[in-house]
Amino acid sequence: MIAQQIINAVSLGGVYALLALGLAIVFSIVGLINFAHGELMTLSGYALLASLVLGLPFPVAVLAAVSCGALAALAMERVAFRPMRGASVTSLLLTSFAVSSLLKVVFQNGISARPQAVAMPGWMTGAFSFGDFTIGVGPSISIVVSALALIALEIFLRRTVTGTAMRAAAEDFDVVRLMGIPASRIIATAFLLSGLLAGLAAMLWVAQRASVDPLMGFTPVLKAFIAAVVGGLGSLPGAVAGGFLLGIIEVLLQATLPATIAPYRDAIVLSGVIAVLLVRPQGLIPAVRVQRS
Amino acid sequence: MPTLYRLHRAALYAAVFGIAAVSTASAAEIVIGAATAQTGGLAPYDQPALAGLRMALDELNAKGGLGGKYTVKLVIKDTRSDTAQTATVAQELIDAGAKIMITPCDADPSISVGQLTQPLGIPTLTLCGSAPVLTGAVGDVMFGTYPADNVQATAVAEFAIAEGKKKVFLLTSPDSTYTANLPEYFGKVFEKKGGAIAGRGTYTMGQPDFSAEITNIKGLADQPDLIMTAAYEPDFPAFIQQLRGAGVTIPVYGADAIGTPTIKALGKLVDGVVYTAAGYAEPGSKLEAFNAAFTKYAGHAPESTYEVNGYEIGLILDQAVKTAGSDDPKAIRDAIAGLKDFEGITGKITYAGTDRMPLRPVALMRYEGGEGKHIQTVIPDAADVPAP
Repeated sequence: MIAQQIINAVSLGGVYALLALGLAIVFSIVGLINFAHGELMTLSGYALLASLVLGLPFPVAVLAAVSCGALAALAMERVAFRPMRGASVTSLLLTSFAVSSLLKVVFQNGISARPQAVAMPGWMTGAFSFGDFTIGVGPSISIVVSALALIALEIFLRRTVTGTAMRAAAEDFDVVRLMGIPASRIIATAFLLSGLLAGLAAMLWVAQRASVDPLMGFTPVLKAFIAAVVGGLGSLPGAVAGGFLLGIIEVLLQATLPATIAPYRDAIVLSGVIAVLLVRPQGLIPAVRVQRS
Repeated sequence: MPTLYRLHRAALYAAVFGIAAVSTASAAEIVIGAATAQTGGLAPYDQPALAGLRMALDELNAKGGLGGKYTVKLVIKDTRSDTAQTATVAQELIDAGAKIMITPCDADPSISVGQLTQPLGIPTLTLCGSAPVLTGAVGDVMFGTYPADNVQATAVAEFAIAEGKKKVFLLTSPDSTYTANLPEYFGKVFEKKGGAIAGRGTYTMGQPDFSAEITNIKGLADQPDLIMTAAYEPDFPAFIQQLRGAGVTIPVYGADAIGTPTIKALGKLVDGVVYTAAGYAEPGSKLEAFNAAFTKYAGHAPESTYEVNGYEIGLILDQAVKTAGSDDPKAIRDAIAGLKDFEGITGKITYAGTDRMPLRPVALMRYEGGEGKHIQTVIPDAADVPAP
């Protein structure tokens, strides 16, 4: 029972971590909280549905859907955010809200306001027994995929030139540009990575929910934002820590609260967030930034 | 030339506000305002219902309008599934001269409209809002049209008892009247008829993860033989996907909101799920004929029974205007409240003697192999239906 809940918590935390990382990567470079991140997920979800309807084999459909998320993130940067480069944080934030609302309406009117069922392969809804308790295939995949994605991202950031440049840009963008690294390339890579993470998170999300709908991106981006803030805005390890912390708290509260208090779960979680920020105003693992006067 | 000037100005206004000018000018026209969701979470419910209503009004207009006398002008405004926006557009519709108001498929926005229409005495009908507290929260102008939650819950509970189910787990969400109360009505009837409540759980609408709740269900010492919930899209697919994924095979029953193409398309995942509908199209029935006519009208088959429910609202209004003999909102309201054994498409509809939630049949359905199969159609005994 307790072991089961721990698996549930890690599985949900992993998805939140992927989402929060997507937000944090873009924020660390351009100082933008991209609230249209959730719509990248929705888009990947619809791409998965379309690929399956077209009869593509499941692995190919997943690949197509994740790439679709990544390409959409690139396009979003090019169309909406590049013209706003250098604008104030508020303008960027409002732009991302605008993109988010626009895409939601396009999905509702262009596809359908009704959620569309996504038939996941039968083996994904299975469960296997492990000694005394059963583990669902879905949560297990969730944990494995989140772990692999986090490791792959870490290797990319540590071992490649672009990765190193991105880490440097997060600390001091101007100096990186003085070193002769083109700003556009760094920013585009940040969006590409965030799109990839959104696509992956969308696959895990849809696998657990069995449907895609125009508004499905709203909750995850909100959770990711909370996780990123708790972890330390702009800090990548912080985003991961925040994601796991949020997932674990949510599952533990759901598991232990009596039915009469359970409706206040979200209020309790958010109070916890405030408590963390009172003790550590910069988040759990604050971002490193060069402060200049 | 002040008179001529006034005429000119009138002509200009008429040109600019063409539709509004015509509606106030023509005596034999009645404006029906529809504050309904074209976008947002309620759109999948409001839109099919509204399509049915439009079909009825188009047919009635071809025969001279409501009661054969009043051509209907249906003015539709989008509420974006937002309660505050619903009140705003309702006020706009009242200003446009609406004498009858149609509201979304949910209690909260419907009540917000009712607060505006009640003082004016404008009869207000919800498309498929089914919370029985809805009419009492507003007053005598507010009418439900769909089988009420407590009636549906009674039908499902009596069926579960008849099947031999003994212990139920109730999954509710405090986020809407429908999701909070319907399973509790079920619990009341279930206990009264000899069943027991094995446990209760809650979720937040839009919640991504049901794993903790499902682990709790698995950990119950006293295992239920049934899970009852009023969860709908997108929560219901998520819940049942994760429930079955965790290896739990306990049957899940719900109500009308899961009688939709999305849930049907889940296929094997929802095998055995029992839900309700406003009617079932048996061969040779009026509903079968309606479904064929609707397919011709809309270019696609009805998605659920919300279409026929919307169509029946048109028929109810026609009958009410006929009885009232005028387009006076108060007379129309009284006529609706007095309807008894009115022959709709799905069966007899009665408002007389109720608190404006209609007495009408409930069809019990079950998903099998990706299809909704009819079990039986019942009208629960009023004495068994729990109070709202």
